[in-house]
Order: sequence, then structure tokens, then C-alpha cells
Amino acid sequence: MKKSLFTAALLLMTILMFGQAKKPILMVVPSDNFCIQKGYSMTVNANGNEQVLPDYKTALQSSDELRLVITKMGSIMADRGFPLKDLEQSLKSIESESAEISMLQSKSSGAAINETPIDILKRTAKADIILDLDFVVKRQGPNNFISFNLRGLDAYTNKQVAGVAGAGAPSSSASVDLLLEEAVLSHMDDFNGQLMTFFDDMFKNGREVKLVIRVWDNADVDLEQDFDADGTYDMLSFHIENWMAENTVSGRFSTVDATGTMMRFEQVRIPTTFTHNGREMAMDTRRFAANLNRYLAGEPFNIESKIYQRGLGEAWLIIGER
Amino acid sequence: MKKTLFIAFLAIFAFTSVHAQSRKERKAMYDSKYNYEIQSLGVGQDGTKLVKIWGYGKKADDAVYEAKRNAVAAVIFRGVPAGNGAAATPPILTIDGYEKNADFFDDFFKAGGMYLSFVNSTTDGMPGGADRIKMKKGYKVALSASVAYDQLRKYLEEKGIAKKLDSGF
Repeated sequence: MKKSLFTAALLLMTILMFGQAKKPILMVVPSDNFCIQKGYSMTVNANGNEQVLPDYKTALQSSDELRLVITKMGSIMADRGFPLKDLEQSLKSIESESAEISMLQSKSSGAAINETPIDILKRTAKADIILDLDFVVKRQGPNNFISFNLRGLDAYTNKQVAGVAGAGAPSSSASVDLLLEEAVLSHMDDFNGQLMTFFDDMFKNGREVKLVIRVWDNADVDLEQDFDADGTYDMLSFHIENWMAENTVSGRFSTVDATGTMMRFEQVRIPTTFTHNGREMAMDTRRFAANLNRYLAGEPFNIESKIYQRGLGEAWLIIGER
Repeated sequence: MKKTLFIAFLAIFAFTSVHAQSRKERKAMYDSKYNYEIQSLGVGQDGTKLVKIWGYGKKADDAVYEAKRNAVAAVIFRGVPAGNGAAATPPILTIDGYEKNADFFDDFFKAGGMYLSFVNSTTDGMPGGADRIKMKKGYKVALSASVAYDQLRKYLEEKGIAKKLDSGF
């Protein structure tokens, strides 16, 4: 009996020890400034307004310097355990996926794949942390030097979590390629040091995300309706806030907006892992929203709701129906 | 007369005690394991840091060995400041890295210890000129050294001393 208990405890410990948070995907994306300055841009007409947007495909196909910097950064990050998601390959994959979806038919009835306009809109290259890259080759008399700017942007919150910038030493003899390589080598250790600080904070205080509660227009409930739950008779919005306080890390979240039909929570610190069937799994915004969904589906609320994941770090819970 | 002598004695005593204290402080500063005089010499080859580091010793040879040890210690515990076109490099460990792993580092930094695997002197022969200063009791020597930063970080990660960037994922 004792032996079985010991074995079970050992097994549980092993499972808990190997529970790991979701590993963030990192991708280098040339900054809008870089693309537009170099002419890698396209003009689109959006509702009568002309907008200049970066053309990543052209930038990656045309700029040798950009490819060199991305390759160098990729090899450094792979060495640190974070192989970078490649933007060029991601764009190609999205293109071929679109073609395949439009061509694919079922064997028996010839049915096409069911894809909503939202699904099409969501088919973009995604990363948890975008490495927003910008560099310029500048001249000072006979010398060349590199002005380098790299920002790590958290796609969940749009916050800058790491950033390095500076000019390299001017040289009249070194090639631009060599100066670019030097710029990457010079800045990446500092950049990774800042990323480490961000990860440490994430493990200690939870992943920062956004959560929005909305109401379907045909719903027979809104956020101002009173419920008697957990010994408190209060509006639904306050019950949701109480749930948030209990389920976020150290009760950390900010209610940015709250009306009868909408609540917006920002700086929501969700745990990095959760336990499912005795196994520790990585938590994400969708899973966190699903827990709130279950809470609202239970007594005394009995409210159905739909989870809509918007981007990587934002989820909407639309109450009233699925 | 007696009063004048007493004041003079007091003044001499005060002066010598202040002087002794400053010498003691100076010695403490020289002996401190946190006192690294280091500057960046530019961007090194892939995975290395090119630095100029100072060491103290009774003989110039001893000072060179201390400078090599200081180069590795500075990279681990304090980082390298920006300079000569190179950005600042953060330390591999946090500020209390030594205290947390004293046994490991006492062995790592012992005479002829493992630390020597991660540093190369780029100075040919014994440093001379402004890089070799004769002091009252020995030498202060500056060494141009290349520290294998990436290898050192990986070694400390493998030994469980430093945390990997992807640990926890």
C-alpha cells in the first residue's frame, strides 16, 4: 500500500515538474518605417482613404541586407532555444493554404471546406512576440555605419517588452554586410537579457492578456441584470469581476470599461499553466475565457456564451447564445 | 604649553587614523571581487566579447593572470559596458550570482581553474607602456582579452548555475 502511494506521488511529481507554459513564437518583421522608406510598400484604398502599407513579400524578395540580418538573428535565437518563425515562409504557406482551401473537395459529395469571412480574415502570419526590425546604412564622410533598432512587441498586449537601438562604429573599410552582422552581434545579448526579464515576470505574475465581455443584440440578459450568486445579490458585471479577482494571478486585472452591454478587462494576468485530468497544461486566453464561460453557464446564471479569440492575447466572451 | 601639545597630538592622531582608514578602504576596494575595471574594445567575433581588463599583482605575470580571471568574472557578474561601437552586454547571472553559488565559483576560479577555458589574451607578450603601471607594491596591468561569452553562458546553463532563456517553456 505504502509502495503504491509512493509510486503515485512520484508520478504526480513528475507530471507537475514537466508542466510547461506555452512557448512563445517569435518572428522578425521589418518595421513599417523600413519598408516604406525603402519603397517596399503598397497603396490600398480603404473606404475612400488611401493607405500606404508595408509589402513584406517584396521586402523579403528584394533586400539582401534584410535577409542577412534575419538569418543572423535567427541563428542566435535558435541557439538560445527560440527558433524564429520565418515571415517569408509563413507568407508562402498562407498563399498556398488559400489556394488549397479553394480547390479542396470531399470525395463523396464534392463539398467544399466551410470557411467564414472571419476565418479568411484571420489567415495571417502570427507570432506571440514580434521582433520589429529597422536599420539604416548611414554615411559619415568616407565611413559607413549602421543605425540599428530592434523592438520586441508582445502581440498579446501591444506592449514593448524588449528594445535595443544604437549606432555602430563607423568604418571606411568594412563592408555593409559585415557592419550589419556586427550590429546584430552587438545588440542581441542585451535584447535577450530583456526578454529573459519579461519571461521571469510572466512566470511570476502571469501572462498579460485582454478579455472583453459583449452581449448579443437578441440576448435576454445584460450585464446589469441582478443575480444571487456566492451569497451576494449583485449585478452580473460585479459577479464577473469577482470571478476575475479569484481566477487571475494575485487578482491582477483592470476593468477599463463597463456598461450594460460591454466590459473590457486589460492587464489581466492569467496563470501560465493549468491542471487538466491531473496533467499540467499551458494556459492561453481562449482557455481562460472558457473557464468564465463555464462559470456563467452554471447556476444561478445559466447563461450561454460564445468564445471568440481575437488575436493571440485577446478573447471576447459574447453572452446570450453561442 | 601642555594644552598646545595635547591639541597637536590630537590633530596628528586624527590625521593618521583618517589616513589609515582611507588606506584600509583602498585595500578593500582592490581586494573586492566586485571591483572590475573593464571596457569594451568593440564587437568581437560571433559569441565572443572583446574587452580591456585590469588586474593587480606583485609581479606583472600575476597581474596578467588576475586580469584574465577578472575578465571572466566581470562578464558573469557585472556585464560589459558599451563602448567602441559595441552595445552593453548584460551579466550572465544576477548581482548575487556569486553568493548563491559560492562553492561552484570558488572551484571555477581557483588557480588554473576552469575559467581559463573561456578567456584568451589578445595581447602579444607582456603588456607594456600605459598598460603596465608600476605601483608601490606591485603592478597594475591592462590586458586585451577575448571572452567566449556564448560558450561560458552555455557551460553555466549546463551546470545549472545560469537560467536558460527558454527554461519554463
